[in-house]
Amino acid sequence: MTAVLSSGVMSNPVFREPETLGGPTREIEFRDAIREAMSEEMRRDKRVFLLGEEVAQYDGAYKVSKGMLAEFGERRIIDTPISESGFAGMAIGAAMIGLRPICEFMSWSFSLVAADPILNNAPKMLYMSGGQWGCPIVFRGNDGAGGQLGSTHSWCVEGLYSNVPGVKIVIPSCPADAKGLMKTAIRDDDPVFFLESERMLGNKGHVPEGEYLIPFGHAAVRRRGTDCTLCSWGRPVNFCLEAAEILAKEGISCEVIDLRTIRPLDMPTVIQSVRKTNCAVVVDQSWSFSSPGGELAALIHKHCFDDLDNFVYRVHSDDVPTPYSSKLEQEYLPNVRKICEAVRAATYRA
Amino acid sequence: MPIELTMPRLSDTMEAGTVIKWNVKEGDAVRSGSVLADIETDKATMEMQCFDDGKLAAILVEPGKQVKVGTTIALIALEGEDVASVKAGGGKSGGGATAAAPAPAAKPAPAAPAPVAAPVAAPVAAAATPVVQTETRHGMEGFPSLEDDGPRMRVSPVARRMAEEQGVDIRTVKGTGPGGRVIKRDVELAIENKASMKTASAAAATISPSQALAVSTGGVQTPSAPLALALPGRDVALTGMRQTIARRLVESKTTIPHYQVTMKFDMDRLIDLRQSYNEKLKSSGVKLSVNDFLVRACALAMAEHPYFNASFAGDHIRIHETVNIGVAISLPEEKGGGLVVGVIKDADHKSLRQISADTKTLAEKARTKGLSVQDMSDATFTISNLGMFGVEHFTAIINPPNSAILACGAAVQQPVVRDGQLVVGTQMQATLSLDHRVIDGAMAAQYLASLKEFIEEPETLVV
Amino acid sequence: MHLIREFEVRCMQSYQEKKIGGFCHVYIGQEAVAVGCTAAMKHEDPIVTAYRDHGHALARGMTSRACMAEMYGKVGGCAKGKGGSMHMFDRPNNLYGGHGIVGAQTPLGAGLAFGTKYEDEVINGGKNRRVTLAFLGDGAVNQGAFYEAMNLAGLFDLPVIFIVENNGYSMGTAIHRGTSMSHDLCIKGRAHGLKEATMDGMDVLAVYHDMHELAEWCRANSRPAFVDMKCYRYKGHSMSDPRKYRTREEEERHESNDPIGKYEQSLLAHGVITDETIKSIMASCREEVRDAIQFSNESPEPPMSDLYTDVFVEPWGRFPGSSQPDFTGGATNVCSFRATNGKEGLV
Repeated sequence: MTAVLSSGVMSNPVFREPETLGGPTREIEFRDAIREAMSEEMRRDKRVFLLGEEVAQYDGAYKVSKGMLAEFGERRIIDTPISESGFAGMAIGAAMIGLRPICEFMSWSFSLVAADPILNNAPKMLYMSGGQWGCPIVFRGNDGAGGQLGSTHSWCVEGLYSNVPGVKIVIPSCPADAKGLMKTAIRDDDPVFFLESERMLGNKGHVPEGEYLIPFGHAAVRRRGTDCTLCSWGRPVNFCLEAAEILAKEGISCEVIDLRTIRPLDMPTVIQSVRKTNCAVVVDQSWSFSSPGGELAALIHKHCFDDLDNFVYRVHSDDVPTPYSSKLEQEYLPNVRKICEAVRAATYRA
Repeated sequence: MPIELTMPRLSDTMEAGTVIKWNVKEGDAVRSGSVLADIETDKATMEMQCFDDGKLAAILVEPGKQVKVGTTIALIALEGEDVASVKAGGGKSGGGATAAAPAPAAKPAPAAPAPVAAPVAAPVAAAATPVVQTETRHGMEGFPSLEDDGPRMRVSPVARRMAEEQGVDIRTVKGTGPGGRVIKRDVELAIENKASMKTASAAAATISPSQALAVSTGGVQTPSAPLALALPGRDVALTGMRQTIARRLVESKTTIPHYQVTMKFDMDRLIDLRQSYNEKLKSSGVKLSVNDFLVRACALAMAEHPYFNASFAGDHIRIHETVNIGVAISLPEEKGGGLVVGVIKDADHKSLRQISADTKTLAEKARTKGLSVQDMSDATFTISNLGMFGVEHFTAIINPPNSAILACGAAVQQPVVRDGQLVVGTQMQATLSLDHRVIDGAMAAQYLASLKEFIEEPETLVV
Repeated sequence: MHLIREFEVRCMQSYQEKKIGGFCHVYIGQEAVAVGCTAAMKHEDPIVTAYRDHGHALARGMTSRACMAEMYGKVGGCAKGKGGSMHMFDRPNNLYGGHGIVGAQTPLGAGLAFGTKYEDEVINGGKNRRVTLAFLGDGAVNQGAFYEAMNLAGLFDLPVIFIVENNGYSMGTAIHRGTSMSHDLCIKGRAHGLKEATMDGMDVLAVYHDMHELAEWCRANSRPAFVDMKCYRYKGHSMSDPRKYRTREEEERHESNDPIGKYEQSLLAHGVITDETIKSIMASCREEVRDAIQFSNESPEPPMSDLYTDVFVEPWGRFPGSSQPDFTGGATNVCSFRATNGKEGLV
């Protein structure tokens, strides 16, 4: 029996770093960047559709899908009931037929009730069917602490889901990346978990006008430095850049690497940097125990053992449920102060 | 071909089963789907189903007997086969059923391992033991070494690699990281120093002898990196201790205005007294040395001359309240050689016996596991004794922040003029090195006079 | 039906011989359901089912060889030995899997119907053509996912038929002990506006007839339906089930109503076939299964390299986070995006 793979449309993709694209750029919000990516792909391929809670008539709970119903109609922009297990499973079934669903979770925190379809069906389908059916689907939504949402709504699911083979996990930190990575995610033939942050949806950034896709597994070096490598993804990348500013004034030069995807993980870029700086600090918003940050630290220890001047320091959310109080929450999350302290300790300048 | 019925696996974890009851007897007709027997598994009593039509030719396992899954427990004769001959064939050797023959023959042995267990078990157990130990050791890995703070050296991986690549002996590099860990910048510093040393020696090798003086004069500014001769030889890396000795004594000799005062001491009475005490104390295992007397004598003399128990402190002189005598102890070659100073605290308040015991403990510890920081700190005066090596006279370098050090030679028999008569006496020469910022010549003479009194009238040391 | 029964009997035997590992759930007694239902459908209609899936796979056209070799964990299996007894996938025959988690296949069934409807109507601009069959056991009726699936099917007019193979037991628990309103399962579908039907799953002709009618209604109206398919599972839930929760008398009563026997009698009575035909059919089934077992025994074990294949359609080479465990160095990653064949749907 020959394996028939689900039919992707990744023909001649324009894989480009946005800054190498040239041409005019505009300053748009993170949410606009995601919307542009989804809309462009939906114009390009009728098999792409968006479903989720409040995505259509309400114009998106976080206005990510604003205006999409008007353009694409209710057959392709689909309001679902609050029924994550049901509509996530339904989207997977549709993907098996050959469609390319974008399944929005208003918050990844709500994906926990859909754990069975997104972890048991989507990533294992290709393997269990011996290569007969893949699952070309994008699950996307807000991940991490949104701001005083309390414990149940502040999940960093990458700590849980990155444990599962067969998924690709994308966590962008800026609008330009969000657009390029979302377009790649939609064209990818495998299940992609796309983790946004409610706190970043309003962040603005320059985004090229031309079309570009950012390949998975390619980290971006956001700042060059010589004394310490800061590795992060998603929202904490921005904290790392702030910390690097402060540390530069103290004479500590940080290289900031934005991994962009944690599955696949761009180890070559990390290794290259650590071999230069001899020092690494991993910043990860998920809890420390069994986290992607822990995995990255272990890999750095493995591949850069003889290059390290200190063990790899890690900055995570504290090992407690997310507190409600604004002050406590700020302290709980990886923040600029914690990152600075970790870098000083790691470089023996504490 | 007859069908062999084997003990079925009736649960996912079942390894063996017991026939509780046969529902058919030999010769009975059986059909696919009929229940042949009740089998007790590890979980429950289950029905054993028949998958073929025929006659039960033979029952090979009686009720109540446990056999492994896969063991042949019955034979079925198919249509056209003779029950009796199937039984006869199957019961003995499995007949012509090639596939089945090894199974029943092989199974009984592992099913009843008890008789063969004894000889087999011994080597197995022996082989298993080290494995267990290894695992235990692995499990404990990392923990005991943390307590073992002594000789273990901490080096960051990149520092170790850089040192290797640059040919720097990591043991000579002083670590500034946590717990003394040698880190990257320590090695970088060492590499820099080495480079400047090389530059200097390279310069020395290329200049004329007449210019050498100028270079060596310049070298004074970096006393820690003296010029090397451009001769064949071998380099011995500095141990941490050797580095410390080098640094502290250069500092002492170059910053303290040293001068020396020597005096001879008659030792006859002290030696006699020591001998008689040692005879008396022999039963209690005490053996006083000449040095013990000297420690006590120096300590008592210091109580009389407080400036000998003092430190120069820039804008003032600090006079200490306790008298702590440091005793220089050389370390054996196999321990890397070198010199440490063990300290006998409150020496002016200690008896000879106590001083003797303390000294022995310190020396023993220094030569075995090493002195602790506690054992080596807070000396206010130091005695260096080379008498046991036959040295008659030498001078010592002050051990900062002390103000004086006493260098003792051997007590030797020599012609002595006593009461106008030339007699044979036992004398010892001792030389004080002094910090002129604290102690003047006359004060030194007075101290030596007191010392002489204690040594030549040794009974005063006992009371 | 004969083939399924013979196949399942030999499955039990192979399991007992340790040739088949893990969990194994046989379909004996329920053959008329899979056979009747699939016969009533078009080949292009998707089917998805639960873990008691050998019968559906064979009825859908999977070869005995591929099915048996899969259970033997050999490369000749339908999923090259990576799926196992509970996970039978057959793309050429539109069998979208056996699924191991109870009830988990029901939202997928809704999704398959959503997908076919979207393809037929949105992409191709025509009318809905296909109907999805989603099989589940009566035990799955109590899973939350099933209610979500029914709600979505009702809400989005999805052409899917949820067939509850009501064999009276969810594992070892009789239906009235685990399911409320068990005397009228259809009420569960009714609550979501699904068309309902109760069928005699022990009568293959009735199943075929009723299912055909229902499926065509669903196809024409693009609406979902719910079937309470009454049947009986002769054997235990799995191979390690001693069936102490029911009596031998109860089993015998149902076995006497055997769907295969009844159908044979009916065919004989109508003169469609003779005893000889039955014998030869049975012989050919035995031969096919014997051949499947021989094939499975001889089929090679999967090569170790298979461990790392089929994790991603678009793998990322040899570095962490991808399908292979080791990183071999190099400064940049090579992305292996591939141009693929499917262009349909491109605007």
